[in-house]
Amino acid sequence: MPEPTHQPNLPDILLEAPTPPRRSRSFYASLLLAVLVLGWSIHGAKIRPGELLDGIPQIFLTLGRMFPPDFSKITESKNYFLPDTLSWRDLLVPLPLADEQARTRQRWWDNTFPQTVIGATLETVQMALAGTFLALLVAFPVGFLAARNTTPHRFVYYGVRTFLNLVRTIPDLALGLLFVAAVGLGAFAGTLALAVHTATVLGKLLSESVENIDEGVVEAIRATGAGYTQILSFAVLPQILPDLISFTLYRLETNIRAASVLGLIGAGGIGYLMNTSFRTFQYQEAAAIVLVLIALVMLVDYLSSRLRARVV
Amino acid sequence: MIELRGVSKTVQSGDHPLTILHPLDYAIPSGQFVAVVGPSGSGKSTLLGLLAGLDAPTTGEIRIDGVDITQLTEDGLAKLRGEKIGFVFQFFHLVPSLTAFENVLIPMEISGRRDAVPRARQLLEEVGLTERAHHYPSQLSGGEQQRVAIARTLMQQPAIILADEPVSSLDPRLSRVVLDILKRVCREDGITAVVSLHTLELTRGYSDRVIGLQQGRIVFDGPTPQLSDAAVDAIYHRHD
Repeated sequence: MPEPTHQPNLPDILLEAPTPPRRSRSFYASLLLAVLVLGWSIHGAKIRPGELLDGIPQIFLTLGRMFPPDFSKITESKNYFLPDTLSWRDLLVPLPLADEQARTRQRWWDNTFPQTVIGATLETVQMALAGTFLALLVAFPVGFLAARNTTPHRFVYYGVRTFLNLVRTIPDLALGLLFVAAVGLGAFAGTLALAVHTATVLGKLLSESVENIDEGVVEAIRATGAGYTQILSFAVLPQILPDLISFTLYRLETNIRAASVLGLIGAGGIGYLMNTSFRTFQYQEAAAIVLVLIALVMLVDYLSSRLRARVV
Repeated sequence: MIELRGVSKTVQSGDHPLTILHPLDYAIPSGQFVAVVGPSGSGKSTLLGLLAGLDAPTTGEIRIDGVDITQLTEDGLAKLRGEKIGFVFQFFHLVPSLTAFENVLIPMEISGRRDAVPRARQLLEEVGLTERAHHYPSQLSGGEQQRVAIARTLMQQPAIILADEPVSSLDPRLSRVVLDILKRVCREDGITAVVSLHTLELTRGYSDRVIGLQQGRIVFDGPTPQLSDAAVDAIYHRHD
């Protein structure tokens, strides 16, 4: 095979390529500024590796106190505070009972069971599910109002966007405190906090999904004689549905974790029990609750990823 | 019958107005396959969008069977499009999360008419896609997607089909398959088709009449056999 010969008369595209732009003084000034800001942040955050190194044994000591985890709060029936007048069967099987027994059973389900680890875990799941569902009900129409291409008027667009941005900046813990003050301690306050925060996040995400749809499909459906609402149902909704499902499942997973944290301020769920165990130095009990929480989060992650794979 | 009287379209391009279509007077008789040809930017898509009422002209009136569509409200236009006009796009624009069959059903669901399912099946058979009815657009080739789009358009039982570069993204064999379908429904159902095409071979092979556009002006109009080389040069501004 002959060697390719160099032909000096042909233009060399490498020689003709423009030289890369020289980095200007402002580039180096920006770099210096970024380094200064980072140094300032590290100083402000009081990052002191020496203290961390000294504290490492303390971490292991605390972890050691947590082992072995004490599951007796889950496994021992005395921790379920069974009423003397009722058996497990009476409590669990929804059959008619005498008036007094029925009242006792109701009180146990309403007041005692949510204080147990299993009850508080289920309450956490209920708060996350209910909060996410309520948020979806609000976010669904809001997503259309806050999207440039489906909003009925630009004032509506700016108004809804501004409202979403303002409310979204309030952390759910702060919302939790607000609702605890309004409706009292318990799961309702936590659920409201989750619903409000999630509605603003889902509303924003959905509006961006609506803005990113293929406008060609909208035009094609419009060309078949569709009106405004029909365009939304036949052209916009089918395109955002995978995102809608995906975002909602993701927020459900996030809300399981958030619902656990909300328990710390008395807004229901397993976080309250965990906080109590830590504050009363019941580390082994706290470890069991943490493990239950980890199992719950993993289960919800697994189920939602299965669901997402099936429908998205 | 489609009639255009003094129809023009001007848009704002930066600080300057840009005229895409200069005032046109034209009449398209019913039942013909009319090809709209011209170089890129000559106003073909704009003309088709105006005829469908998807866009409003700057001046003039567009009459479809005697009704001036420029005077209709958005609801009136939607009704007219649902009853009389079908539009086929270059890039098909099928709903990606619906199957071919479900895409074809959409116009009937919008109009709330019955007998949708048997008609959708029949149309998919007519465009040769019975076997692919339950496939999603992403599982279909470009030619198959365009045939689904045509079936969706025919579902409306339109009197007029407007097709904007329906075969530009298809290879020559698939282009002929798609145009054969359009030509057949035109002949058998008396549908008027206004189709923008990008090759002279397809224009000469399928159309009854040709409109040649050059920079927003009609520079040729006549039966297809009269489309001479000189006329083609005038349309495409070739002087070599």
